[in-house]
Amino acid sequence: MSYGILSFGAYVPTMRLARSAIAEAVAWAVPSLKGLAKGERAVANWDEDSLTLAVEAGRDCLSGIDATIDNLQLASTTVPFADRSNSGVIADALLLPEGVTTEDLGGSRRAATSALVRLGLTQSSRSTLLLAADCRETKPGSTQEMNYGHGAAAILFGTGEPIAIVTGAASLHDDFIDQYREANIDFDYALEERWVRDEGYNKLVPKVVRAALANAKLDLSEIHRFVLPTSAATAKGVAKALKADPERFSDPLSANCGDCGAAHPLLMLAHALETAVPGEKILVIGFGQGADAIVIETTAHLANLQGTHGPQRYLAQKRLCKNYTMFLSLRNQLDIDFGIRSERDNRTSQSASYRRRKDITGMIGGRCSACNTLQFPRAQLCVKCSAVDTQVGTSLSGLTGRVKSYTEDWLAYTPLPPYIYGNVEFEDGANCMLEFTDFDPGQVKVDSTVRLVFRIKDFDAKRHFRRYFWKPAPLLNTKP
Amino acid sequence: MATGIKDKVAIIGMGCSRFGERWDCGAEELIYEAFKEALADAKIERDQIEMAWLGLFFQEQSAGKSALPLSMTLRLPNIPVTRVENMCATGTEALRGAVYAVAAGACDIALAMGVEKLKDTGYGGLPERTKGTFDDLWLPNATAPGAFAQLASAYAAKHKVDMKDLKRAMAHISVKSHANGVLNPKAHLRKTITEDDALNAGVVAYPLGLMDCCGVSDGAACAIVTSVEQARAMGYKDFVTVKAMQLAPSNGFEMSNSGWDGSYLHTTRIAAQRAYAEAGIRNPREEISMMEVHDCFSVTELVVMEDLGIAPEGGAIKAVMDGMFDRDGEVPCQVDGGLKCFGHPIGASGLRMAYEMYLQLLGRAGDRQLASPSLGLTHNLGGHPFRNVASVSVFGLHA
Repeated sequence: MSYGILSFGAYVPTMRLARSAIAEAVAWAVPSLKGLAKGERAVANWDEDSLTLAVEAGRDCLSGIDATIDNLQLASTTVPFADRSNSGVIADALLLPEGVTTEDLGGSRRAATSALVRLGLTQSSRSTLLLAADCRETKPGSTQEMNYGHGAAAILFGTGEPIAIVTGAASLHDDFIDQYREANIDFDYALEERWVRDEGYNKLVPKVVRAALANAKLDLSEIHRFVLPTSAATAKGVAKALKADPERFSDPLSANCGDCGAAHPLLMLAHALETAVPGEKILVIGFGQGADAIVIETTAHLANLQGTHGPQRYLAQKRLCKNYTMFLSLRNQLDIDFGIRSERDNRTSQSASYRRRKDITGMIGGRCSACNTLQFPRAQLCVKCSAVDTQVGTSLSGLTGRVKSYTEDWLAYTPLPPYIYGNVEFEDGANCMLEFTDFDPGQVKVDSTVRLVFRIKDFDAKRHFRRYFWKPAPLLNTKP
Repeated sequence: MATGIKDKVAIIGMGCSRFGERWDCGAEELIYEAFKEALADAKIERDQIEMAWLGLFFQEQSAGKSALPLSMTLRLPNIPVTRVENMCATGTEALRGAVYAVAAGACDIALAMGVEKLKDTGYGGLPERTKGTFDDLWLPNATAPGAFAQLASAYAAKHKVDMKDLKRAMAHISVKSHANGVLNPKAHLRKTITEDDALNAGVVAYPLGLMDCCGVSDGAACAIVTSVEQARAMGYKDFVTVKAMQLAPSNGFEMSNSGWDGSYLHTTRIAAQRAYAEAGIRNPREEISMMEVHDCFSVTELVVMEDLGIAPEGGAIKAVMDGMFDRDGEVPCQVDGGLKCFGHPIGASGLRMAYEMYLQLLGRAGDRQLASPSLGLTHNLGGHPFRNVASVSVFGLHA
């Protein structure tokens, strides 16, 4: 039993936009973007935000892991709520106990790597689930629109049988403004790439890497992989500045994901851990107004999680968003006329919502202790045997469901028509009418099997609020 | 020991407004249009009405809450008036209130009025609405076509029928109702359609196309009832009596328990069995002369034929295609054009159905008169198949 990294996880939305679709759409204004028009970027569905992305990464990280979580941290520069604990919502969605400490970390693309430095250097008897997610919106026609992606990753720290341990780390602060976003502003403001590369990456990264190596008492040549979230070209320059082998720099996931901001170092680390061998030394770097570097060494236990954790299964699942206007609309940058139905007032009664918050956020139904029938929503009287006050809270969020009936509704308002919903059967008699997500028209059938994912149910544009609930989505690794 | 409602109450007058996009009318004018006809039909004075029930569903869309839309509109002399709401069974519920009042002897003459002014929303389909503070947190924002469309996906899967065959039967249902609607001067939609029109219409909610959906319209219908004894005392000779009025709301079984497969209407089956028992009907297929069922969507009518025990389970497609429910079929259904052609002003529909049964039983249905019908069934389904309120009523001539 020792302290270290106990698990890892990741999540990348299934929706992908071909960069060529962006380049073609804006070629009349920004023909130069054509040079970046390779591969695809990950796009969050309309019902995803940093909070829901983080929940999925957290579920991936915790799947099959028997661990008590003491601390929950969410690192992001794009949390949906400025004042409402985002990590608190996640704690309920992940069914974590009331006593877990929840912390929202932000203000920097280094939010996650800085937490990694701290967690690695401070041995603690308490376990921490570190989540990182970003869902950055981008200006149409910008290089960010091409290069960014939406995604999340998770690392679990604690005492047990670590899959990796942190052997050293360092941080440095430098107010080098390669890009920035003022609070309440939608888009990043980015400076010239050549300056960022020469004065930023090539100078700050070697400095922090050397400090971390000194802390770990390692030589540069002993590092098997460098995780540096930047373009392949910039990574090459950094390798040169460090006199390191550029082949040891990890794939930045630009081909089918894109740069996921604060989540990207962890996402790349999770990707590296999917294929790392025991004893591999990985150096993770975070960049942004300074830099972080963390040296990690894998153990023999890593093999237990390989194939069941990490981004590869999500990256393999893809729905192509071919249409640029659809992408803009999904990310709320194009105001499509969805008609008067879309004006529906989604006001939430907070007191009613609070009474049932655990049921809604954790998809907790009731299992009748008299007849074992599972039901959602739970109620005082059992739907099967009418026994009173016999229902024990039981979450359905991890269950696989079977579709009994469905429709593709073109009348109902949804930001991504058609509105697909149907009756889904779960184990032990549970049955629920639910809104589906991530399905294409024609994909759902009676008897389709589905998993549940935590998503935005609807927005209240008038009061700037959003509600979350669980939706059936395609099973992982099943091709449509 | 309860003895049921059979032959205790007589309907002595009925009225029905013209249904349609009544841009010129509010709920108040629709109420008066139906009332004027019923009063003349019953040959009584307004002040002879002692109690009244008003059925209105979307009060926020039109006339507002409470008894007042009825008592104010008709300037009723401060008699007791109760507003009822039970989704699409609302009109029938207004009638049930009036029927039970005269059966109980609480009054001699009672009025049941149902009205809905839907076409003031500014958009097509039914109005958007909240489902309640808790259900809004988790239930899909389903539309009626989307909720009912699922009957088709579940029915096709259960009975292993090709969706094309099911769609063809659904088209037949709409073609038949449109043909009936043409004959009815009070119907909203009065034009024939072909099977191809129905099959080629744009998709509203898969697999329902536009022609599988009933219209959205404004309308009102009403009934004046009294006890059978009183009817005789008042000199009425041939009159229609209530044979059964039954209601079955969901209790969560369909919504929360896997025992329901989504291919049928659980509550309709229960309400039908109770209604047949109350009316003394042993073989509905042979004894019922005609039906007005809740054809909000073509597929609803199809599965309801089985739920009412008129078609055998799994046999509705064949029965429909064989013409069993056509005007000249064994058990004609929607002889007035149905919800399909009348649209569905929610509070009015149940009473509009009863109005057609009333006219047919009395031989007053004009061009669409059936040959000597003796028992007519009406059916409403409020809500969505997975949680709803079903009513089944039977009307016949005075024994």
